Amino acid sequence: MIVQPIEIRLPSDSSVLETLQLIVEAIGRSAEVEEDDLSLLSIAVVELTKNAIEHGNKSNPEKHVTISFSILPNRIRFLIDDEGSWEPEKALGFNPGEGKELLLTRGRGVLIARNLAKWVEFGLTPEGKTRVTLIWPLT
Amino acid sequence: MNIKQEMKDDVLVISLSGKIIGGPELIEVKDVFKKAVEQDRLKVLLDLGKVNWMDSSGLGVIVSGHTTLSRAGGALRILNATKKIHELFIITKLITIFETYTDEQKALNSFGE
Repeated sequence: MIVQPIEIRLPSDSSVLETLQLIVEAIGRSAEVEEDDLSLLSIAVVELTKNAIEHGNKSNPEKHVTISFSILPNRIRFLIDDEGSWEPEKALGFNPGEGKELLLTRGRGVLIARNLAKWVEFGLTPEGKTRVTLIWPLT
Repeated sequence: MNIKQEMKDDVLVISLSGKIIGGPELIEVKDVFKKAVEQDRLKVLLDLGKVNWMDSSGLGVIVSGHTTLSRAGGALRILNATKKIHELFIITKLITIFETYTDEQKALNSFGE
């Protein structure tokens, strides 16, 4: 099944995350992601959306995160756009898995998303806003 | 998410269930750890067996609990982490900090060792 890009627009409010989790798992199910992997997919997308809300949109509920997904041959592609122009590698420029940073209470989202998904890339939209691309391969 | 607390011998067993996805609920969990220290309950076993979804917010609150208890001379140990939660502990290397158990009695006994 091929699905052309469909957009979901969410306010920058953490109360939307549970709904997003359910939507992402429904997308995964429709693309025949294995049942056991659905929660891993939703964790990866929710983590990146949380970063977009907190870092990109500074948790301003008037700003939105736009998630666009496409089901393509052998993969699902998610584009997660916020309204900021933060520099993810700079803002997240520490490794929460090492040394003293191991005991930080936050900052693990990108690490987790990158380990669960096969491809996570930070870039910019044509308008210069932050865009994260996540590719989930389909077997 | 639901939180249940129970004393077993001198160990406080905190059982979480449902989804741990962030928001005000996590403050509640942090408070449980703080109250445990205030009440001098320094041996805490966190049962994650009924948690069906958790992300980095959940890990953050567990690390916070570990720090709160460690500073007071206590310890936080993990019981029944599901395969997926265990994977998160491995990815983030938190597995190097936490002792994890799948048997409650062994976990309870570990505090006396």
